[in-house]
Amino acid sequence: MKRLNRDAITALLLLILCGVFFWQTFDIREVPFSEMGSEVWPRFVLILLTVLSLIYLFRSVTLARPDGEPFSWSRWLRTYQNAMICFVMFLIFLLALPYLGMLLAGILFVFVTQSIIGGLTPRRLMLHGTVAVLAVGGMWSIFTFALRVVLPSGELFS
Amino acid sequence: MIFENLLNAFEAVFALNNLMLMALGVLAGLIAGSIPGFTITMAVVLALPFTFGMSPIEGLSTMLGVYVGGLTGGMFASILIGIPGTPSAIATTFDGFPMSRKGRPGLALGLGLWASFFGGIISAVVLVFLAPTLAAIGLEFGPWDYFMLVCFALTIAASLSEGALIKGLIAGVFGLLVASVGEDHINGAARFTFDFDVMGAGFSFLPVLIGLFAFSQLLNDMSDTATAKKPMIEGHHKAVKMEHRQSIALNILNWFTVLRSALIGLFIGLLPAAGSSISNILAYDQTKKASKTPEAFGTGTPQGLISSEASNNATAGGALIMMMALGIPGDAVTAVMLGALTIHNIAPSPTFITTQPILAYGIMVAYFLANFMTLAMTSGALRVFLLVTRIPLYILGVVILLYCAIGVFTLNNTTFDIWTLLVFGVLGFVMVKNGFPLTPMVLGVVLGPLAELNLSRSISTSDDLTLFFTRPWALFFIVMALFSVFFPMYQSAVKAGKRWANFYGVGFMACTSVPLMMMEGGFRTGLGAVLLVLAAWLTINKLRTAKTQKPSST
Repeated sequence: MKRLNRDAITALLLLILCGVFFWQTFDIREVPFSEMGSEVWPRFVLILLTVLSLIYLFRSVTLARPDGEPFSWSRWLRTYQNAMICFVMFLIFLLALPYLGMLLAGILFVFVTQSIIGGLTPRRLMLHGTVAVLAVGGMWSIFTFALRVVLPSGELFS
Repeated sequence: MIFENLLNAFEAVFALNNLMLMALGVLAGLIAGSIPGFTITMAVVLALPFTFGMSPIEGLSTMLGVYVGGLTGGMFASILIGIPGTPSAIATTFDGFPMSRKGRPGLALGLGLWASFFGGIISAVVLVFLAPTLAAIGLEFGPWDYFMLVCFALTIAASLSEGALIKGLIAGVFGLLVASVGEDHINGAARFTFDFDVMGAGFSFLPVLIGLFAFSQLLNDMSDTATAKKPMIEGHHKAVKMEHRQSIALNILNWFTVLRSALIGLFIGLLPAAGSSISNILAYDQTKKASKTPEAFGTGTPQGLISSEASNNATAGGALIMMMALGIPGDAVTAVMLGALTIHNIAPSPTFITTQPILAYGIMVAYFLANFMTLAMTSGALRVFLLVTRIPLYILGVVILLYCAIGVFTLNNTTFDIWTLLVFGVLGFVMVKNGFPLTPMVLGVVLGPLAELNLSRSISTSDDLTLFFTRPWALFFIVMALFSVFFPMYQSAVKAGKRWANFYGVGFMACTSVPLMMMEGGFRTGLGAVLLVLAAWLTINKLRTAKTQKPSST
């Protein structure tokens, strides 16, 4: 179990993914009179991916690697804090998009994310607010009025 | 015919509207390329949504402007602060920054600018003549050959992923799997939809690409809170006046370095998926090896700076040749352009230059013009660069994240594409953190449908599967693929001083000669024979040398 490093876990996840996808290939509709069935190519790709993942697993288990620092959740959170904030905020933005529309949801996303990462001092909040309104408003105007793209307006405003 | 096409292309490219769009593209590229952490691919990807409403020639001219501008813009940060603006300007830092610290930033910038210009122009000239020739060769390809070409593109992309061949191959094959999600292009059957209707159309190329490249890169750059909060460049930097006259003179004086580096850049650009991030270091290394004063490299020598900048700009021409002649992207940026062409229902293939002459020659003319525009706009962009880099990274990063979302939404007017962006953004971030290269995956996504189509065509045409190994071009690409897979092992063997490494090049020559001799036409057969004789002669020589060295060493 000691040997189950990050690479080995990734390889195992890839093998599980290959299994799930391979199982799904049996659900692909058979097309009559076709020279090459729709499932042939994905199966070929999946077999290749399985073989490569097995090699990857074998190498990750057998190759000796220097002992690194022990894993710590607090260090992990510190390292990926900003990335996690961005992912979560982007997810909230996406969920809010159908209701608030691109303009408002976008301004809120930029303002809140910048404020969480950059700090909540009055000066910073003012800066983030200005940047959010100008940057999102400006781009929204270019797409809406110049490029004539209909961006989501949101259920609350339609 | 060529001149008529060129004249028509000139007319299209020099339209006022197109010139303005190109100028905007060049300016955006210069600034984006100059910001440390922002890659040229990211800049071109972000410019892509703006081109949907444009004609193909306008869209591609704009993106070419961003591309060429970005290649030159990368040198600003390299020379002034010692941090490469883009990976294509890493070697520029080696001599550009020391020269700048010695009090000659104007000369360093001027040298880089003019070397970029000359490298770009040499590359553009070769592009005009080589692309139609290569396209003519491409017409000989059958589906078996095309399938093997795609395999070669994926293996070489993986083998160039430093020390991560298996991870590179996994990334490439995973890209093929991603491309097979959704409706099958040949039979129309749904695949891997997991009963979700929105998955029926598969993943659009653009959200996948933006997610993998831009989204994950931005999150990577913002990972460290302290760095993200600081301005990208601290301290006050005055606008620098470039020393054009002396820079031109030094470039002309070192004309051989410019030419050699440009040719190295071109060659690297021709290799599928190998971009300017490799060519600048390779050209720098070759110039250093050929120099009578290699010890001066790294202290601010003009040759070092010239070689890096001439090669990285020349790579663009090579990558465009491959894209236009064979429909295979030469690097990540041309992969984006390939995607842009498909959005306009144009699929580059060997017939692209003959069926779309104005667009094909327009790309060549626009590439020429972009180099001149970059030359003219660099001084202005330098001032903007100094302003932009005072903004803290997190402010810029978060705004660009939202621009990515707006950009991908405009592709199909569906929020599913923004979800795709998020999913592939997370995936790209996790992949990079675990040492998986992204370029092979993008190539897999782009080339997956092409590979499947050609596999299907070859099976429909003939039951004989040996054609994949016996047709000259297919065999040629198999040889190239095999040697590219073993290339990382060869590099390790050279470092370890293993004897077999001496015979790698010879083996490559001998193996390549076989398909060449099988091809039609006297030139290729003759070339194959010459390679075989040369390989035999070199092998005998190496064996003799090894024999004479053995007694003396024991």
